[in-house]
Amino acid sequence: MQPKVLCSVATRGRYFTTLPLVLNAIINQTKPVDKLIVFDDNDEPQDMRKEMIYSYFFQMLDAKKIEWEWRFAGKKGQHHIHQAANTEGYDWVWRCDDDAIPEPNVLENLYRWVQPSVGAVGGSVLTLPYIPDTSLVSGKIDNIDNEPNIQWGNIKVTKQVEHLHCTFLYRAGVVDYNTGLSRVAHREETLFTYGLRQKGYEVVAVPDAVTWHMKNPQGGIRSETKREMYEHDEQIFRNVLKYKDHTIVVLNCGLGDHIVFSHVLPAVRNPLVFTCYPEVIQGRPIAEAQQLFGDIDTWNIYKKMDQWGWKNNLESAYRKMYL
Amino acid sequence: MIIIAPYAQKLRTSKENPKNYPYWELLVEELQKTMHVVQVGVTGEKQLVPDFRTDLPISALRELLWQCRTWIGVDSFFQHLGWDEGIKGVVLWGPSDPLIYGHPENINLLKGREHLAKNQFLWWEATEHKNERFLKPSEVLEYLKV
Repeated sequence: MQPKVLCSVATRGRYFTTLPLVLNAIINQTKPVDKLIVFDDNDEPQDMRKEMIYSYFFQMLDAKKIEWEWRFAGKKGQHHIHQAANTEGYDWVWRCDDDAIPEPNVLENLYRWVQPSVGAVGGSVLTLPYIPDTSLVSGKIDNIDNEPNIQWGNIKVTKQVEHLHCTFLYRAGVVDYNTGLSRVAHREETLFTYGLRQKGYEVVAVPDAVTWHMKNPQGGIRSETKREMYEHDEQIFRNVLKYKDHTIVVLNCGLGDHIVFSHVLPAVRNPLVFTCYPEVIQGRPIAEAQQLFGDIDTWNIYKKMDQWGWKNNLESAYRKMYL
Repeated sequence: MIIIAPYAQKLRTSKENPKNYPYWELLVEELQKTMHVVQVGVTGEKQLVPDFRTDLPISALRELLWQCRTWIGVDSFFQHLGWDEGIKGVVLWGPSDPLIYGHPENINLLKGREHLAKNQFLWWEATEHKNERFLKPSEVLEYLKV
């Protein structure tokens, strides 16, 4: 069976500007999506079935037999929306911005990279005037302060990178979005795609998959301007970079869980442990993990077992999480 | 000497932990006829035998395990500690799944998989305590004789 693709669009303040262009582009992809969810994060959401242009979109989706859903979001930031899409049960998610318009062949060309070794694949995301050529960009996380993002230019050759931004196709349910970020969710996609890379999956930037990013000045899911939010998120990002050569282990769980995990720990590569029971497993306090990385729920083994529909034993679940 | 670890962690509500075995008094009465029983637990838990040792550090519990013939408990940290020390014991299961939370090295006594909680990964506060989930003391004693 072919892997199923969910397309998620997070939108805010762009009902009548760029969102219709984006939906039209998604509907007219040469490789249709299996489902489209529009996550409506507007302060005053509307019933778009009453708008003629949207009713045409919905009719086209029905005619093309593309399942669709208009879902009202929780106004907590786009990272929460992306995490909802990530755990929706699809194999892959194609995340699209509400002001980024993909050319008709984008999903078809990204989908060619749906392979066991690949975690995420993205094409060019061009804002006029764009960089003609980013072939010298490394895409390495260590160079993030010293080079443009590879997707900002017209990608001419396929390149293995360590992070992507804005819009890309990714393997769902492997890593979580960091929901500890503020509402602006600064760096959320960089952290997410780098997380896939850290899990051992390839992250790929490919040619012939161009999305036009209009950066519409009104609206947008990231319309917050509070500097403290950006600083908070930037600090989390810097902490992830600082400890990137470690396997972060967060044991915010019971005493018995610690005992079971002690059998897994010797196999964990260069662990940095945060623990509730230092008498069982030595480490730093849990509160410090929360301060450093924002969201520690991503290390909640019970949540993961629930997400995985786990039937095996607890020790195996820890091995899946950390090895 | 046999150790009993009768109670799982207290819930954050006043409700009883659904993993607690409901027939300890009857079981302990039978056990005490033939051997010395040491209860381990924390302050505030119901005392079932004269020798009740509370709030022992992990290191002391490990030492105690090495002095016992075996141990009987519920699905609490103690079953993991016994397994960690390589001391085989008996675990009295109710709503939690021994295939997920147990160790095959122990004797895992489960009345039936139909009695397991539907969702194994929620807080246990969300699961009702029900006596009928557990084996009766007479059935447990049969296994102990073996």
